[in-house]
Amino acid sequence: MHPFLDRRNFLGSASNALGSIALTSLLSRDRLLASGPSERFDPTEPIDPAKPYAPRKPHFEAKAKNVLVVFCAGAVSQLETWDYKPKLIEWDDRPLPGGPSVTFQGPAGNLARPQYTFRPRGESGKWVSDLIPHLAELTDQIAFVHSLTSKSNTHGPAENFLSTGFNLDGFPSLGAWVTYALGSLCDNLPAYVAIPDPRGVPQNGSNNWGPGFLPASFQGTTFSANDPVRHLKSKGVSDASDAATRRLLDKMQQRHLQEYPGDAQLAARIASYELAGRMQASVPQITDIDQEPAYVLKAYGADDTTNKDKAAFAKNCILARRLIESGVRFVQLFNGAYASAGKLNWDGHNDLKNQYDVHASILDQPVAALIKDLESRGLLKDTLVVWCTEFGRMPFFQKGAKGRDHNPDGFTCWMTGAGVRQGVSHGLTDELGVKAIEDIHPLYDFNATILHLLGLDHERLSVEHNGIRRRLTNVEGNVIESILS
Amino acid sequence: MRRIALYYRSFLDSAGRIGSASNPHVLRGCAKIGIPVLLWVVLSVVSTAQLPSEPRIDFVRDIQPIFEVHCFACHGPEKQKSGFRLDVKSRALQGGDHYGPTVDPNDPNASPLLDWVKNQNPQERMPPPGPANKPLSRSQIETLEAWFAAGAPWPDGVDKTTLIDPKSHWSFQPLASPNPLASIDTWIESKLLAQGMSLSPPALPMQWLRRVSLDLHGLPPSPELAAWFAHHHEEPEAYSRVVEQMLASPRYAERWAQHWLDVVRYADTHGFEVNTERPHAWHYRDYVIRALQNDTPFDQFIREQIAGDQLGQDTATGFLITASVLLPGQIGADEPSKRLARQDAIDEIVVNLSQSFLGLSIGCARCHDHKFDPISQEDYYAMQAFVAGVDYEDRLVDTPWAIENKERGERISDELRAIDRELLRLEPLARPNPQRFQIGTDLQSLQDLPVVLPKRPRLQPTINSERIAPTETRAVRFSILQTNRLEPCIDEFEIFNPLGENVALSSRGTQVTSSGDSVAPDRHELRLVNDGSYGNSRSWMSNQVGKGTLTFEFTDPVIVERLVWGRDRLGEFQDRLAIQYTIQLLGPDGQWTLVADDSDRNSDALDPAPQGSDSASNAAPNSPSTNPSSEDFAAFQTLQTRQKQLQNDRKTWQENQKAFAGRFRTPDAIHLLLRGDPEQPQQKVEPRIPGFFGQLGIDPSESEPKRRMAIADWIASPSNPLTPRVIANRIWQGHFGIGLVDTPNDFGIHGQPPSHPELLDWLAAELIANNWSLKSLHRAIVLSKTYRQSSQSNVKGLEIDADCRLLWRYPLRRLEAEAIRDSILAVSGQLNTAMFGRGYDLFAQRGGLSGFQPIEQFQGQGLRRMIYAHKVRREREAVFGAFDCPDAGQSTGLRRTSTTPIQALNLLNSVFTIEQSKAFAERLHREAGSRDQTGSRGQTGSRGESQADPTQLIKAAYQHSLCRDPTPDEIADALPIVQELGVETLCRALFNCNEFLFLP
Repeated sequence: MHPFLDRRNFLGSASNALGSIALTSLLSRDRLLASGPSERFDPTEPIDPAKPYAPRKPHFEAKAKNVLVVFCAGAVSQLETWDYKPKLIEWDDRPLPGGPSVTFQGPAGNLARPQYTFRPRGESGKWVSDLIPHLAELTDQIAFVHSLTSKSNTHGPAENFLSTGFNLDGFPSLGAWVTYALGSLCDNLPAYVAIPDPRGVPQNGSNNWGPGFLPASFQGTTFSANDPVRHLKSKGVSDASDAATRRLLDKMQQRHLQEYPGDAQLAARIASYELAGRMQASVPQITDIDQEPAYVLKAYGADDTTNKDKAAFAKNCILARRLIESGVRFVQLFNGAYASAGKLNWDGHNDLKNQYDVHASILDQPVAALIKDLESRGLLKDTLVVWCTEFGRMPFFQKGAKGRDHNPDGFTCWMTGAGVRQGVSHGLTDELGVKAIEDIHPLYDFNATILHLLGLDHERLSVEHNGIRRRLTNVEGNVIESILS
Repeated sequence: MRRIALYYRSFLDSAGRIGSASNPHVLRGCAKIGIPVLLWVVLSVVSTAQLPSEPRIDFVRDIQPIFEVHCFACHGPEKQKSGFRLDVKSRALQGGDHYGPTVDPNDPNASPLLDWVKNQNPQERMPPPGPANKPLSRSQIETLEAWFAAGAPWPDGVDKTTLIDPKSHWSFQPLASPNPLASIDTWIESKLLAQGMSLSPPALPMQWLRRVSLDLHGLPPSPELAAWFAHHHEEPEAYSRVVEQMLASPRYAERWAQHWLDVVRYADTHGFEVNTERPHAWHYRDYVIRALQNDTPFDQFIREQIAGDQLGQDTATGFLITASVLLPGQIGADEPSKRLARQDAIDEIVVNLSQSFLGLSIGCARCHDHKFDPISQEDYYAMQAFVAGVDYEDRLVDTPWAIENKERGERISDELRAIDRELLRLEPLARPNPQRFQIGTDLQSLQDLPVVLPKRPRLQPTINSERIAPTETRAVRFSILQTNRLEPCIDEFEIFNPLGENVALSSRGTQVTSSGDSVAPDRHELRLVNDGSYGNSRSWMSNQVGKGTLTFEFTDPVIVERLVWGRDRLGEFQDRLAIQYTIQLLGPDGQWTLVADDSDRNSDALDPAPQGSDSASNAAPNSPSTNPSSEDFAAFQTLQTRQKQLQNDRKTWQENQKAFAGRFRTPDAIHLLLRGDPEQPQQKVEPRIPGFFGQLGIDPSESEPKRRMAIADWIASPSNPLTPRVIANRIWQGHFGIGLVDTPNDFGIHGQPPSHPELLDWLAAELIANNWSLKSLHRAIVLSKTYRQSSQSNVKGLEIDADCRLLWRYPLRRLEAEAIRDSILAVSGQLNTAMFGRGYDLFAQRGGLSGFQPIEQFQGQGLRRMIYAHKVRREREAVFGAFDCPDAGQSTGLRRTSTTPIQALNLLNSVFTIEQSKAFAERLHREAGSRDQTGSRGQTGSRGESQADPTQLIKAAYQHSLCRDPTPDEIADALPIVQELGVETLCRALFNCNEFLFLP
């Protein structure tokens, strides 16, 4: 006979106090919060491992509850979009005096005028390009930062830098930090959703939504209007068997839990299956975009039969709105896919104008419609909308090409929505757009500002990792006060 | 940013604002010009009026409050912006990162601090503008000025913060001498006793067995072992016999290698956006497994990983270059991009060395002196100098295995040479076209033309062969009518008789004449065309563009069978190649007869590949005859097939002599880089260990491998206080889920102190005393009372020490991703225990537009342990990756355990779980069937499954997965479901249950 393990060898009385003690201990052990009692930070509510997505209080009163990031992969040219340089028209096809002979991809050619017509927009009269007519209509609502800089001129490290604050691989993404700090506002969807472009994943792939060394709970979950959440449903198992497995499992878990009363890890796993069950019900509903009324589909361009990529991206934009509406804390919407000589993303090295015509036709109407839709539903007062790209492009063409090389020294990203000052342009690049010259802001500052709007102090939101107190902003970062409302 | 700023400075100085606050030198320079005059006036008043009486300025009364109120927020106990702190005398006087000392003894009036507070630019003035900060008042500034003028008197003992002397930090002290009477339990029990606690009772034997198996192997115990132990656990040696058996098993090495690979962030790809494969990286993974299996002493393990090329462990140096790196094509073409990429690459090596072995964050000092530990920026760059000759590249290694592959490759090369000779002999006969240059060819002759005949191989710059019917002749004429460019050049022209002798050689008396030569003495000369030596520098060149003729006259008539020529036999040059030519023989009648030309050559674009490396398109045209039944044709085809196969083999064997173990070369000169910026190099730095730890006495001119040997020896020295402690702690952490020091990669001042310092030192000393044997440490730990106690909690324990740092129970913890997958496979009976070699793929597609598409169904190789998966950096495996699997971006000294709904969905619904549940069910039926054959119970069903007793199936399922029998209640729960829906429904639940997923 095998010795029969005594299953009754457990504590008979599981007191609630036990549970709570164990819970706090787990938290301090994993140092799940930047602000454990032993540290000199403002205490906030500890993360309950059974409810990693429970909403948590920010450091101070927040202007925004949710974030929607529109991430344009491949580096959008500031000179063709938001940063008007009339001087470039004058200097068209002349060499840049004292300019570099070689940039990222090779020899530099002559200066090249903006490839699109600019005109003044709205009441502010800010000049925005005809490349993006729908977004241009929103100019009065937007706070532009024209003087951003990146630490790398290479897509991979630079997307890392934009998304994680570090050039290197392996650091937590902005969305991971935000959901780690604040949890979620809904209990049937992931706290953080990353929606890849229908044309493919961005250059830096999952590192843009990775948890780095934060708990895996805070990794972005990827799905889009077309691609479902992986493993949402089992394949090749009958519904009856499915249900029976769940039933058996519940009993096993409860029995086992009785033997380890108050063990938060075990309780957390049980809770995670419950949330998974709710996601199984809610995700198919939320991704069923065709349920939207025709006028909505039309407004976003999701009904565009002539532009398949635009229609697919527009559906992702509608999905983004639905997620925000449902209380998903952080939504990251990608426009632009993998490196492809500029064919599938904004990396316009060789044939910028022709390629941007295509990319802008996908981006422009759907994103503009998304912002207007959020506004009309009253969601924009709680939602921060961020438009970003990893770096900008050079004012000159590459030698022998009709496109611009990478330029990390002065480029534009913008914000609108909750807590953002409307119709403001902050920072300056020089008159040819070579580099930022006034109110220069490394991307640290942009990320610090996003956290600030969420009520988070970028210097206090930190975790210990390998002997270093790590932050999204490394040891840098200043909030860009002048774009706050 | 800065680097491109340099380029544009000249152009933008008028418009741009260069050298703002980001350039301290500019700022200081300005300040120094402007301020002293003013100061002098103020100070002269102070010095004349106040000196005779008591010092007017009292530091504690007048100065400290200014610092406290206005400066401490950024330069105090919590923050030290720019490395400057004003709350501690020694550090305050030392100054910030880049501004020199606060007090200049030669010039009391000059201080960076005064420069900052008096700066005229409100954006740059200290304290910086903000709601909480106001600029210092005039009188405050005057007070400061007076204090500086008086020599900045700062009494000792008035600081409110005292800095701990880093030298006294616990981990930098020598190991405490071991207490021979102590054991692990001594230290644990004494601490518990001090808290009025004690160890928990021993775990049940089968619980311990499952625990130690999951811990040492990452797999549940085999049914055989479980059965044995169930019967023998009361015997005195039973526990240690189990442990010995487990430590001797390769499963131990596979499990514990993963812990080490976490730390060194091993992956099979380069990382960053392109994330290309490192096809030869796995040699290092295999090295680690072998080293653990052999119980390589840990000090030797260190030396081998740093300098294994010097120690007969060539592949071990893969350790140095485990990090992400940008490949040359991904780095910008501009020089600053290249310098930054190289710096990042070297930095990762330093980080790996210091973090993995020493538990020190030396990498923190890349931009500034370490904030906490006694490591200066110069110390950091001195560490770089040890490894500045390491490149992230494959290296031909000389492991026995690689040498064997090399020999195989050489044997193949010999055979290939023989085949080449044979193939040339079997070349198709030349079929020149005499009408080629005549106009008005009639239709009939066109149809006769060999349009359907296979063509001869396309012309090659290296070598071309003309096979003709054996013909007697006195002379050969080679007329070139066109080249691919420039004047034709002929390296060597050979004429073979049927005996295979080259009768063209001048040494045989053959005379050569030409239409005219371009002469470059001793390089291009007519005589060199038949001198028997190869290469561009031994060749003939015509003096006409695209044209030229060579005529060879023999002393006596010869029989010619084959002519061979090339432009450059050594393959260096591809231009000047004859692409239209004729070859004629002089008949006895004095007439020239055309025997070969280019008209039957394959005229596709010139293929620079050497002959023999045929592409599919010209494989057929190589055939020697139009008649497929001819002997030549058959022989040719056979040879060609063989040739292709051998070429592939040779490639494989050549590749298989490489490992991603680093290429070593003359080290880069290393300079201290201001703020870590490669564009701001300062003084040159030679290799040395951080000054705090003493000196190695290494000569700056020491060769590259010697440098690595030197740093390896220092790290691996038993007198290094960090190394043995750091590894002992990692081992402890592996067993208990948390180390005695819970910051395993940081033993510095900012890290956590050990919960049991004496125990840590005891373990470290034991390790050294046992010749650094890790297995001896495992043995001591898993057989201790501390390890063998129950994991049940109790009220007192939770109240006093809920974290379980005192170890009043064995801490319950979830299995890691790899252990979950491996355990499922072991239980389902599908685990493939094949070891080593290239990893199996987790993804069907590498990167690109659709990213890494996961493979869902695994067979064969894919059922090996997860450590043998081809590890794609940053891409977590689709099912188990969500269980906190490190992404190999940064070092993972300690895996976090998180719980997410995605884990639940993956483990419930993945194809993997469903398939393994079915496989597990089949196994249960199979085993029940074989039991039935002897026990004659049950029948075999129509689907080949036994109609086994469901209760027996349930019991077997529990035994396999949880190492115990189900309770009657559990049987009652499962029975109706198993009867109705099959046992796989239960199997799937078991794979998801906490009991299966936690170390008991």
